[in-house]
Amino acid sequence: MSDSEAVVETKDLTKSYGDFTALDSLTMQVGKGQILGFIGPNGAGKTTTIRILVGLSKPTRGVAKIAGADCLNESRKIKRLVGYMPDEFGRYNNMRVSEYLDFFGAAYGIGRRARNRRVDEVLEIAGATHMRDLFVDALSRGMQQRVGIARTLMHDPEVMILDEPANGLDPQARIDMRFMLLRLAEMGKTLIVTSHILPELARVCDLVAMITKGKLRAFGTLDEIMKDIKQRRTFELLLLKGDQVDRTAAAVRKWLEQHSAEETLGKSDVTGAPAETMVRFSTSLGDEALSPLLTHLVQQGEAVAQFREVATDLEDAFLSVANAGEQGPQMKASAPLPKTADAGANAQ
Amino acid sequence: MNPVIQREFYGILRSPKALAMLLILTIVFSVAVLMRWPSDASADLSGSQSLEVFRIFGYGLLAGVMFLVPAFPAVSIVNEKNDGTLELLLNSPLTAGAIYFGKISGVLLFSLLVLLSSLPASAACYAMGGIDFTAELGLLYFVLLLLVIQYSTLGMLVSSYAQTSDAAVRITYSAVFALFFLTLIPHAFMQGTGDWGMLKWVGDWIRYLSPLPAVMEIMGQSSVASAGLKETNSTLGFVIVTLVSSLLFAVKTLTRLNYRIFDKSRAQGVITDDRGLGTRVARRLFYIVDPQRRKAGIPWFLNPVMVKEFRCRRFGRMQWLLRLIAFCAVVSMILTSMTALGVTSWGVNSIGALLVVLQVMLVLVLTPSLASGLISGELDSGGWALLRMTPMSARQVVTGKILSVIWTLLLVLMATLPGYIMMIVIQPTMITQVQIVLICLGWTAAYVLAVSAAIGGMFRSTAVSTTMSYVLVIALFLLPMIVWLRREAPFGQDTVEAALKSNPVGAALGALQTPGFESYDLLPAAWWFAGFVTLFMLFILGIQVWRLTRPD
Repeated sequence: MSDSEAVVETKDLTKSYGDFTALDSLTMQVGKGQILGFIGPNGAGKTTTIRILVGLSKPTRGVAKIAGADCLNESRKIKRLVGYMPDEFGRYNNMRVSEYLDFFGAAYGIGRRARNRRVDEVLEIAGATHMRDLFVDALSRGMQQRVGIARTLMHDPEVMILDEPANGLDPQARIDMRFMLLRLAEMGKTLIVTSHILPELARVCDLVAMITKGKLRAFGTLDEIMKDIKQRRTFELLLLKGDQVDRTAAAVRKWLEQHSAEETLGKSDVTGAPAETMVRFSTSLGDEALSPLLTHLVQQGEAVAQFREVATDLEDAFLSVANAGEQGPQMKASAPLPKTADAGANAQ
Repeated sequence: MNPVIQREFYGILRSPKALAMLLILTIVFSVAVLMRWPSDASADLSGSQSLEVFRIFGYGLLAGVMFLVPAFPAVSIVNEKNDGTLELLLNSPLTAGAIYFGKISGVLLFSLLVLLSSLPASAACYAMGGIDFTAELGLLYFVLLLLVIQYSTLGMLVSSYAQTSDAAVRITYSAVFALFFLTLIPHAFMQGTGDWGMLKWVGDWIRYLSPLPAVMEIMGQSSVASAGLKETNSTLGFVIVTLVSSLLFAVKTLTRLNYRIFDKSRAQGVITDDRGLGTRVARRLFYIVDPQRRKAGIPWFLNPVMVKEFRCRRFGRMQWLLRLIAFCAVVSMILTSMTALGVTSWGVNSIGALLVVLQVMLVLVLTPSLASGLISGELDSGGWALLRMTPMSARQVVTGKILSVIWTLLLVLMATLPGYIMMIVIQPTMITQVQIVLICLGWTAAYVLAVSAAIGGMFRSTAVSTTMSYVLVIALFLLPMIVWLRREAPFGQDTVEAALKSNPVGAALGALQTPGFESYDLLPAAWWFAGFVTLFMLFILGIQVWRLTRPD
């Protein structure tokens, strides 16, 4: 994707507070209609990035642009282009949902008649029409999230930045939220969504950015990141008896030490779980190199019930990237962006 | 030891504000005593000099208790409720009594420290001689200790009902203010009007709710509205009334410390428009401006923030404001008519002074609660980030917020206009005086608004900003009056005049030739001073808003 097609773009974005670097040279691009899942542990730099993007924070170095507008110097444009839903709802006591939305519509300069229409539209999109007359301070967390999205949509922004929209939601509300995000993407909105609930993100995101300690550790489509992660796969050996576990784990560790490069084998790579009669290990060896292991164990007299590879999901990917990030450089600073049409496919 | 006491007491002590408060108090009391310390070589055998020092010290301590003590109990329960820790406490083996006792003990221990911080100054007073240890110094501390208990139990009671900490602070300070001043009014009304029987007796006992008569009695002064007569039963009355009221407040709070404090369903969002015709008409007649009707969108010519402020405030909503204004208008007209018809012996000037005092009290009670949370309320609720994301400029946001308070204050100020108009009709020569009074009241409102908004804007928590605004505003208006009360000694004409110039209330009372204010030349200096302070405070508010709207 060329730079001109990117709706959200950051280059070498850095934010420091004295000696502490909250965000370190973040470079990424998000295309129109894409959903970017922004993943990272608490204090990783997600909110710092978001605050820079919406013009609430000033970067120490680098550039952030949304639809060509500089996030720092063209704040008026940015305010029209971006709909921001912070983690904190921003409730006003004694106000009904319709009055709340009407206020934000008026603040964006939408005329009274158009505003009334827009309130109905956004409530419908957010599935919150029945909340119209409820008081904002009496809404449950799930209701607040819906009203928050409705508020974000009031001025019909091109880009929506949602900080933890699935936080505190029950399973049904999470599913509803997922469909709502997809619907917004279908409407042509570009979405940046942060979440700790990774399986939810995996189902809707076209792109994933993983950030830890202010550094972008991985960026690309979920498939691309998985491919990188899968260079180091996890396997499970299901044994017949619990007393086999320690013996088998030691045998596996010894075999891996003999067949793997030294620097790739850590202490935690082979673990035994006697209660589950299972030994788990991860390795970067390919199928061909690994296949003699089972024969070796059988020759040692170990009864192996199952030998299987553990499917890797976004959570594993994140943990793997986060751990790798502690030691080395980022896996992929930038990846080719998928077509917008892929959004739906990823979500299925 | 009750774990709640430990946590409450340490919690308060760990706050740097509490430490700063204690240090400042100690310094202020000591400096006040040192300033009046005799410097000449001649000995004062009459003890009048030490009594002067003792009076300054006593009233200062009373003001300290009034300003500082209510803030802590007021947020004690509501903060626990909103943070979710009260549920944990109620779910523990601790009984409601133990929780209450623990909480109030923490507050009382801190209040005791406030009183102890005055010990160096009181020791110096005593060392000057002429002060009786038991009948004066000891009794003063006893009365103040009872006052601390009363304010603490009251604050806890309010805290158990309040939904937010700033509402708790606001209501507690208003109640304290009412207990201190408004309780004196019924007695003042009935003074010298013959035997009103039971009504007068009730008025006397209501007056004992205020600590002022008791403290004045200890100081050897004739009490407020006692027509120069020295009283001897104010202290006893205060002790009885305070103990009974504190007990009632405590028992009521205790009955609320159980599951019922959380047993409240979410508002269902009932709309009057969806109800039957009878209900709609009845509500319209009762409320005039029905808070539950569906509201139209914000029109283009109004600042959206101003409308939002009106709609989301719980305190000072239109339907209550209209009632308050109607009440004030009726009272002011009745008072003026009574004077005109010769029902009372008061002159028009006295009625005017009463109107001014009542209106200033309304302004002092209403304005900090409305203006102090203009910024901190948004920071507290997370609304500030959302406002920053809208295309509205910082100037528009602040203008909208200030306008919402200005409109409210204008309505309050206009409430007594009928009374003033009647005053002019009765005595047409008073038109210039009334005009001056109205300008003074306008400046008072602007002054209080600017101070409250600027001070409130310096804090991120609404409860703290409300407390600080109330303390400062009440101090700014009360201290000159305390100086005026001591106009014969120790303060001279120049000192009192300078103190009265610090706000426009003295000027308004002076313009009405209120007894005690006629001899001071306060205008136009009081207006200039109020104007300068207002502009300076608005400038500070502007800087604070500019700082908060810049990218971090």
